[in-house]
Amino acid sequence: MTAEIRNDVIVATERIEAPPEVVFPYFTDPALIVTWIGDLAELDPQAGGVFSLDMGQVTAHGAYITVDPPYRVAFSWGIPGSCTLPPGGSTVEVVLTPDGDGTMVVLTHRGLRAADIGTHRAGWEHRLGLLRVAVGLGGPEYLTPSAAERRHAR
Amino acid sequence: MDERKQPAPVAPDAVLRALADPHRRQILRLVQHAELPAGQIAASFTLTQQAVSQHIGVLSQAGLLTERREGTRRLYALNHQALEPVRELLSEFWPDALRRLKKAVETAHPRPPKRQP
Repeated sequence: MTAEIRNDVIVATERIEAPPEVVFPYFTDPALIVTWIGDLAELDPQAGGVFSLDMGQVTAHGAYITVDPPYRVAFSWGIPGSCTLPPGGSTVEVVLTPDGDGTMVVLTHRGLRAADIGTHRAGWEHRLGLLRVAVGLGGPEYLTPSAAERRHAR
Repeated sequence: MDERKQPAPVAPDAVLRALADPHRRQILRLVQHAELPAGQIAASFTLTQQAVSQHIGVLSQAGLLTERREGTRRLYALNHQALEPVRELLSEFWPDALRRLKKAVETAHPRPPKRQP
């Protein structure tokens, strides 16, 4: 696994011990996508079809841009009601390349502005809370104001 | 000894906390490309000037704003550097998700054991 950020583009890669034909539906089948991201999904995997992923307090919403099984899928990614990361504001492109018996997954997230990037964070359960912060829906309890912030708020 | 105060390194969590407020993010957007005095920032909000000052204070403490005095005015601008540590954390979001994907796929589709030649 590697990840890097270039000019507000995030590139993440992972090798999976299964062919692209097996991996691809994990980006298009609601029952499969929630095994690795989100709790509930509404997916219409065709160009222009809805891509909606309920991740607890936050729903990522967008539309499929490209659905080219089993090698390439792209969708827009944003949060309804968020002015920093509106639906359609950024795009996620996934390219699946056969690699021996397995698949190389290359995920590229484009269109994140610096301020938005600053508001994302990950790590999963723990980081999901920070993602909520990212998208302006408030944070979990552990993100209570620091002492310094409380002083300020007085 | 150098007596100048170096800005204290700010933990990503402090930056995230500062960002966890729509008004504060709006302030950052206002000063992203232009230096603005507090009064002009406050004029963009329906909040009281005091409330806006508090938000500016939180952002400053998190290192997200630079402050420059010009006469009696204080001018604020976004300190892009302060976003760097958080930007690094963001880089973990998709890799973590892909690790979960790998686990999900490989658990559901285990490889048959390799035959010995």
